[in-house]
Amino acid sequence: MADRLTPDSPRTPVPPGLDALRGGTTPHSSRAGSAGLDRRGFLASSALAAGAYGLLAGCASESSGPQAKGSGEAPKEVFTSPATKLSGSLSILMWSHFVPRHDTWFDKFVADWGKKVGVDVRVDHVNTVDVPRRAASEIQAKRGHDLIQHIAPLSQYEPSVLDMADVVQEANKRWGQQQELCRKSSYNPNTEKFYAYCPGWTPDPGDFRRSMWQKVGMPNGPASWDDLLRGASEIKKQTGVPCGIGLSPETDSNMAARALLWSFGGSVQDENEQVAINSDATIAAVEYMTRLFKEAETSEVFSWNPASNNQALIAGKSSYILNSISAWRTAMSTNREIGDDIFFVPALRGPKAALAAQHVIQQWIVPTYAGNADAAKEFLLHYTANFPAVTYHSEMYDLPAWPSLVPQLNGWLDDDPWGAKPANKLSFLKDSVSWSANIGYPGPSNPAVGETFNTHVLPTMFGRAARGQASPKDAVAEAEESIKKIFDNWRSRGLIGG
Amino acid sequence: MTDVKTEAEPVEAGGRRERPKVGLADRDGFLAWVMLLPSVVYIIALVGIPFLLAIAFAFSDVTTGDPSFDFVGFANFGDVFDDRVFWRSLRNTLVFTVISMLLIVVFGKILANILVADFRGKWFVRFLVLLPWTTPVALSTVSWLWFLDSIFSPVDWVLRNVGLIDANVVWLGQPGTAMASVIAVHVWRLTPLAAVIVMAGLIAIPKDLDEAARIDGAGFWRRMFEVTIPLTMPVIAVAALFGAILTFTDMTVPYVLTRGGPTHSTDVLASWAYFRGIEGGDVGQGAAIALFLFPLLLAAAVAILRAVRRLEAR
Repeated sequence: MADRLTPDSPRTPVPPGLDALRGGTTPHSSRAGSAGLDRRGFLASSALAAGAYGLLAGCASESSGPQAKGSGEAPKEVFTSPATKLSGSLSILMWSHFVPRHDTWFDKFVADWGKKVGVDVRVDHVNTVDVPRRAASEIQAKRGHDLIQHIAPLSQYEPSVLDMADVVQEANKRWGQQQELCRKSSYNPNTEKFYAYCPGWTPDPGDFRRSMWQKVGMPNGPASWDDLLRGASEIKKQTGVPCGIGLSPETDSNMAARALLWSFGGSVQDENEQVAINSDATIAAVEYMTRLFKEAETSEVFSWNPASNNQALIAGKSSYILNSISAWRTAMSTNREIGDDIFFVPALRGPKAALAAQHVIQQWIVPTYAGNADAAKEFLLHYTANFPAVTYHSEMYDLPAWPSLVPQLNGWLDDDPWGAKPANKLSFLKDSVSWSANIGYPGPSNPAVGETFNTHVLPTMFGRAARGQASPKDAVAEAEESIKKIFDNWRSRGLIGG
Repeated sequence: MTDVKTEAEPVEAGGRRERPKVGLADRDGFLAWVMLLPSVVYIIALVGIPFLLAIAFAFSDVTTGDPSFDFVGFANFGDVFDDRVFWRSLRNTLVFTVISMLLIVVFGKILANILVADFRGKWFVRFLVLLPWTTPVALSTVSWLWFLDSIFSPVDWVLRNVGLIDANVVWLGQPGTAMASVIAVHVWRLTPLAAVIVMAGLIAIPKDLDEAARIDGAGFWRRMFEVTIPLTMPVIAVAALFGAILTFTDMTVPYVLTRGGPTHSTDVLASWAYFRGIEGGDVGQGAAIALFLFPLLLAAAVAILRAVRRLEAR
């Protein structure tokens, strides 16, 4: 079984450059060193690390990251004794955070907790795109990690995971009501089960280059989708730099598609989990995207992976993208001047709403095979109680599902501890929950929504119309056909309502 | 006088000659099985069992989150056949396979001819030629991802600087160029394998046949089409078979380069099976899509091997 992770365990020093490559397919264990690394292992690790870097560089990589302004600002960690005596071991599978500083903090944090409560803890960080396939294989094999974390809803695993209602109830008792978008991303109203525990999330604002938008008289960026079409088209005309709303089969394009759809009043499903994609609002959104592509974009948005829009924004090859604050944090650490030119806007206003999808939604699941579920649940409460440290060490990337936990958040957003210029650059995030929604909005994030997301039905719908491969009406009808089949399939398994 | 020992076969008490003891290591039949056993175990464990599992999954409602097995008959196949992306992927797979196979064979033959020629530094050139095949596919494809990047492509940079293009081509952002890129990378990767296979055939041709053709006045092209190619045709067919199978079942190149985009124009059966089965969570439908590869592959393999046998019988 796993070795005990202690703060004193010898750790292999990781050069700053390599630290950013942690998102490789090969898991890096918080207790693992490289002493036994052979040539083949080295080559395989290098290859996989290079691949992961290529794919996730923009999202993931701050080689060293900005430094905190004051050394004494890190929140103090709290410890509450577990309700029951814990023992044994606990293995955790989780992503390599886009902000490497978080993982450095987390590994020590979990080790300290293990030491205090007498549990041997092992943490395996893997590239986020590898978490679902690892989770799937472990659940099929009925053995593996006791606790699995992912950054998108894991609703399809509901039949094979423990109900987390007791943890959520305890958290609600301690810290008040959970944010609605977090609850909707972890609770199945049809089976009344919390298939996951969601202590935090990350918003998905618009990121723009102020110097470009200044030239078209919009120094504060677009406020609405109409502004975006007008301003981005003008920037492209004047400078040749296109807008960067993706239309390819990847996560950011999927998020952008949902933001556009909801802002025009459309949605994949209604609040009762019935397919609602085929509507005048959806057709209007598709027509808008067709215009935006023709007037303000180029074919490159069809070729993008999750890192591409970040890279394009930083390279000055995109005027506007939809992404988290990680692109900007990356620029802050590599080229301060570019970082200072990147600004943000909340969800763009459409004819019906101003909504954006959550960028990251924390999902912690405990598979039914887990050998130490008690320790897993106790750790989750301890982790949640220390969410101020999570937010701080993720450089404001992770926001709390229980807002009362991080009273200092607004202060940090007004005066960024990591050196934003201006210091209140992130203050727009203070009301981010009001313009953010779960990916199943207005319903819950069920497995049908997940499969619709992962088979890229919406980017295909927008893309086919934008390319002229189908009329907006036909593209929507095609999407409806695919989505209905997906919903019927999952409905027959009793996992969605209706 | 010294005693001279004569080696006589031992005689048993009853006067019968004793046979020398034959160990297990001396038995050809036993040894053959021992040598074959690792391969048999490997094939059963890593090909046979997963194949049977895929058949079972294709007739079940298994999902990534629910491993419990319930028989659903042909429902998954019905759903798959109703899916327009499946048919698009099937068409893409056939285009991807046929074009790749033709190019792999043609380039493999050309490369093999170069590799059997005598010139200084031949071994170094052979090493370089084999590199694309020996490099891990994920690594080489990620390198191509950068080569074909919409913004930072060195290929576009070169083409721009020699005046062939004004703006970046965006290779992976348009259906035609995306498919061409996927095929090109695959051909680049598999051509060395075909070259080595054909090279073995070329080396096996008796030199006197070639010399006789030369004496009879046959030029390079005549010798190529009337001597070399007919004699190496069975080997070329094997190279084509390998090329077809490795292309038909490949998902790494399309997955890493385009993830099936733009708008499913490079999705192949293997990648679509992965998207539906693992990322989408519906293992049953994913298995049904993947299983569709089997009859097509079997038919292609039988056809090519029959053609080879006919050629050998001539």
